[in-house]
Amino acid sequence: MAKKSSSLFIVAFLLFAFGIGYMVWSGVSQNSVYFLNVSEALAKEQAQTPLSARIFGTVANESIERPQDGLGASFLLEDYENKAQTIHVTYKGVVPDTFTNGSEVIIEGSMQGTVFTAKTLMTKCPSKYQKENREKNA
Amino acid sequence: MTPLAHVLMILSLTLAVAGSLYCILQLYKAKAYSIGLLENINIIITLCYVVASCILFFGFWSYDFSIKYVHDYSDLSLPLFYRLTAFWGGQAGSLLFWALCLVLCGAYFQSTESYKSLSLETRIWYLLFYFVILAFFGALLTTHNNPFEILNPAPSDGRGLNPLLQNPGMIFHPPLLLLGYGGFTIPACLALAQALSQNNNTAQEEMAWHICTKPIILIAWLLLTAGIVLGAWWAYMELGWGGYWAWDPVENASTIPWFFGTAAIHFGFIEQYRNKAQRFHTLFMALTCISAFFATWLVRGNVVDSVHAFGSGGVGPMLLNFVIGTALVAFAVVLQMPNKGTPFSGLETKEGFLLSGAVVLITISIIIGFATLWPVISKLWSANPVGLQANFYNSIILPLLTVILALAAFAPWISWQQGLSHTKNFLVVLVTFIAFMGIFWSVFAVREPTALIAASLSLACIVSWILFFAVLKYPFYKLSPILVHISFAIMALGVAFSGPYKVEKEVALEKGQEIQIDTFTVKLNELYEGREQNGRYDFLEAELLVMKDGKKIGITQAQRRIYASFPQNAYAEASTIFSLGKEFYATFLGLDEKTRAVMRLSVHPLVNWLWIGGTIMSLAPFITVYACRRRKKTAQSTASSNSHHE
Repeated sequence: MAKKSSSLFIVAFLLFAFGIGYMVWSGVSQNSVYFLNVSEALAKEQAQTPLSARIFGTVANESIERPQDGLGASFLLEDYENKAQTIHVTYKGVVPDTFTNGSEVIIEGSMQGTVFTAKTLMTKCPSKYQKENREKNA
Repeated sequence: MTPLAHVLMILSLTLAVAGSLYCILQLYKAKAYSIGLLENINIIITLCYVVASCILFFGFWSYDFSIKYVHDYSDLSLPLFYRLTAFWGGQAGSLLFWALCLVLCGAYFQSTESYKSLSLETRIWYLLFYFVILAFFGALLTTHNNPFEILNPAPSDGRGLNPLLQNPGMIFHPPLLLLGYGGFTIPACLALAQALSQNNNTAQEEMAWHICTKPIILIAWLLLTAGIVLGAWWAYMELGWGGYWAWDPVENASTIPWFFGTAAIHFGFIEQYRNKAQRFHTLFMALTCISAFFATWLVRGNVVDSVHAFGSGGVGPMLLNFVIGTALVAFAVVLQMPNKGTPFSGLETKEGFLLSGAVVLITISIIIGFATLWPVISKLWSANPVGLQANFYNSIILPLLTVILALAAFAPWISWQQGLSHTKNFLVVLVTFIAFMGIFWSVFAVREPTALIAASLSLACIVSWILFFAVLKYPFYKLSPILVHISFAIMALGVAFSGPYKVEKEVALEKGQEIQIDTFTVKLNELYEGREQNGRYDFLEAELLVMKDGKKIGITQAQRRIYASFPQNAYAEASTIFSLGKEFYATFLGLDEKTRAVMRLSVHPLVNWLWIGGTIMSLAPFITVYACRRRKKTAQSTASSNSHHE
C-alpha cells in the first residue's frame, strides 16, 4: 500500500513537473522581450530588424511634440548615461500624467532604424521624489 | 533629539549583536542556561525602536526639516494625517517601521504564556535567530538607511509627499505588508529554534511552535493579504489606468511571501492532524520570512527595472547576502531534523489534497520569483537582458491558481483515510461545476478556457464550503478556513471576469456628445474648472451622465488635479459607478486642441467581488485568533479550578 501510493506520488509529481516545465518553456519563448536601455537598443538594432523590446530611458529636454489631432506624443528618448545616444519615439495613445521633459520612461514596442513605435508608454512611478519638482516651484 | 535617535539605533545594533553572541555562548556551554538577561536585552531593544520611531513621528508632526527624511517626504502644506504616515513614505522610514513591527511582535510574544512554557534551550535558540535579524536591521538603519540624517542648516520647507501616495489606500498598503513581514519572523525563528533544541533532548515535550504562535501567524497572514489587496485596490482607484494588477516586479515581490506563507499554513494542517510534514512546515515558515527580505531586495536593490522607482541606497548587496545566508541556515537546520519516517498517504486523501495545494502554491511563488528575476538570469547567456511580459504570468499563474481552486472545491469531501468522505456532497459540487460551465458557456458566452473553468470552479467551491459548514454543523470558531476558502473563490470569480472581459475605449468628447461603450450610453454633461476648498489643488472636471437601457444610472465626476506642491504634473482622479455586475469607470486624461475632453472609459465586470472577497479573506482569520484566546482562557480557568479542587 505504502509502495503503491509513493509511486503514484512520483508519477503525479513528474506529470506536474513536466506540465509546468512545458508551460513555463512555451511561456518564456512566446513572451520574452528584450529589456534594454537606449544605448543597448541602438547597438542591438544594427544586428536585427525590427527589434521588439522594452526600453528604459529619459525624455530629452524640449523634445516632446504633441500631434495636431488625437492622442499621443513623439519625443527623443536619451540614454541614462550617454545623452548623445537617442531614439526617436512615436506613440499613439494616452500619455501618462507624469510624462514631461526629463522624466524616466519605459516604452514597449518595436524599433526600425532609430525610430521606435511604442505600443505602451509608462513613466516610472516616482515613489522617491527628485529635487527638480521643488526647484521649479520656488 | 535626532542625534539621540541615531544613538538609540546604534545601541540597538550593539545590543542585538551582543545578545546573539551571548546566546551562542550559552548554547555552546549547553548547561545552566540563564535567560533573564537576554529577555531584558530584547525589551531594551524594543524600547530603543519605540523611542526612535516616536522621535521620527514627532519630527513629522513638528515640521522638523532638519531631519533629512522629514524634509524629503513632507512639507508645510501636508495635512497632519499624511504627515504622520509619511513615516513610511521612503525607504529608510519603511525599514524602520518594519523593524518596529518586528520588535513589537517580539515583545508581545515574549510576554505570552505560550512563550514562557517553552524550554530554556528553545527560547535561547529563538532569541539567537531573532537577535541576528535585529542586528541586520540595526546594520541597515545605521549605515545606508539612516532615517535620522541631519540637514544643516535646516531648510524652511520640505519637498512634499508624492500626491499619488496621498490616498488612504496607499497610506495603509505599505505598513500592512510590513506588519505581515514582521509578524512572520516570530514563527519562523521559533520553528528553527525548536527544530534545533528538540533534537538535542528528544525526551522533552513542549508546545509545538505553530500552536504557540498560531495567532501571530494568522494575524501576519491576514495583514499581508489585506496589504496586497489594498495595493491592488489603490492601483485600480487611484492610478486611473483601469487595472489592478500589472505583474510589475514590485507587485510580484509582495506575493512571494504570501504564497510561501499560505503553503506553510497548509503544511501546518497536515502536521496538526496527521503529525507529518514537520520538515516542510518548518522550512516553508522560515522561507516565508526570508522571502520577505528577498522581496525587499527585488524592490529596493535596483535589481530589476520596474515602473516603481525606489531609491536603492546601497542596500542591495547587504539584503542579498542576508537572504542567501539565512536561506542556507534554514535548509541546514531542516536537513538535520529527524525524519519521522511516516510516509505521506496517497494523493486521493485529504492529506494528498493539502499537500498538492501547498506544492502548487510553492510552485507559483517560485515561478513568480524566477520570472521577475528573468532579466538578471537571462544575462547568463544573453548579452542583453530579456524580460517577460505580463502575458507570461497570465498564461501560467492563472491556470495554476485554477488548479488550486479545483483542489479547494473538492477537498472538503475527500476523507483523511482514502477516497470520498461524503459522496453525495461531492456529486453536488461536481454537478454545480458542470452546470455553471454550461450556463457561462451558453448564457454569458464565456469562451476563454481558463476563465470558464475558473469561474465555474469558484461557484462550485463556494457551494462546497457552504455545504461543508451546513452538513458538518461546524462550530462557529472553526469558521475561519471556511470563510477564507469561500472568499478565495469569490476573488477568483472577480478575476475570471474582470481580467479577460474588460472593455476599454479612449475617446474625445464634446460637451453634450453621446457615446456607447459596452451596455452603457455616456454623455458629457459638463466640463469645468475649480479649486479644492483648502487650495491644495486645482482641478478640471468632466461630468459624465451614464445611462443603461435608456435610464440614468449615475454621474461620474472624473478630475484632473494639479497639486500646489507638484505643479509640474496633473494627476487623474478616476470616478466609477459602483456595481456588483459591470462597473463603469472613467478617467479624465485632458483636453485636446478643440477643448474636447479626452477620456478613457472602461467597463469592468464583477471587479468589486475582488475587493469583497479580499475583505472577507482579511477578516476571517480573526475568528480563529479569537477562538485561540478563548480556549486558552478556558484552559487556564479549568486548570486553576482543578488546582482549587485539589
